[in-house]
Amino acid sequence: MKRRLEATSAQLPFGELDDLLQHRARLGAAVLLARHQQLSFSRLKALLDETDGNLGAQMRKLEDAGYVVARKEFQDRRPVTWYALTAKGTRALSQHLAHLERLIQHARRARG
Amino acid sequence: MDQLEHLEGDLRFVRGALDTSTRGASPSMLYFLWAAIILIGFALVDFQSDWVPRYWTVAGPTGFFASAYIGWRHARRLGQASASDGRRHVLHWGAVLSAVALAVLLRGVPSEQLHAVILLVLALGYVTAGLHLDRPLLWVGLLMGAGFVLVTLVSSYAWTAVGIALAVGLTVAGIREGRPREATT
Repeated sequence: MKRRLEATSAQLPFGELDDLLQHRARLGAAVLLARHQQLSFSRLKALLDETDGNLGAQMRKLEDAGYVVARKEFQDRRPVTWYALTAKGTRALSQHLAHLERLIQHARRARG
Repeated sequence: MDQLEHLEGDLRFVRGALDTSTRGASPSMLYFLWAAIILIGFALVDFQSDWVPRYWTVAGPTGFFASAYIGWRHARRLGQASASDGRRHVLHWGAVLSAVALAVLLRGVPSEQLHAVILLVLALGYVTAGLHLDRPLLWVGLLMGAGFVLVTLVSSYAWTAVGIALAVGLTVAGIREGRPREATT
């Protein structure tokens, strides 16, 4: 079974996937932002079960690529960072998900 | 690990995070607010029926705007500000409020029957809200439907009994909604 899966995997077009969105936390953040429009750093951290350091690093990569924008504000005298998906991020996510869908269809066909 | 299995694991993880983000997103305070408004408003039908129109004219719109504010504040504190969700809630409850306001315009309908019609409209509003917005409201809507049957069959203190049942239902729903983590920003 495992060998069959590996053989299937080798034939699939993984190269079409967006490198940035292949990371679980980055993909999760992008999908959550697409669904909810704006999420705070703390909410993302709780939903994705990430540490401050790791999530901060992943979000910075998305920010550098122009996929998300961060906005800082004070709430009850505490700094809060809000994230939102940009148009570029939305496009990249929808292309990535379309590729994923194709991959899954490929895999299903290959598995018979 | 095989690349495909890895991908499947990631997708399961993302779906789990998405499910968690949509669960228990409504503030308990909303349920408690409407439990109080409904309890008073329904008891008035039995004890001070001439106050009922005035009470709902004030309590209905005030409750609507207070709910919108509570929802907005909760979203900010939770760190999850979904404009599309907010819009859906406002449109849904705005439509229910408008239907109730239009029902009041019915001419020649005795007040007892008008109250029952409004209860039916509210029941429908709560059931559809339960199906599309917040699941606990489904049971409250069904309870309202049962309340409609009760007020059409029983004449003494039926509204107070229905009001108490709905207030308890909403309070329990509010407590249950508040139980999941309310992560603050």
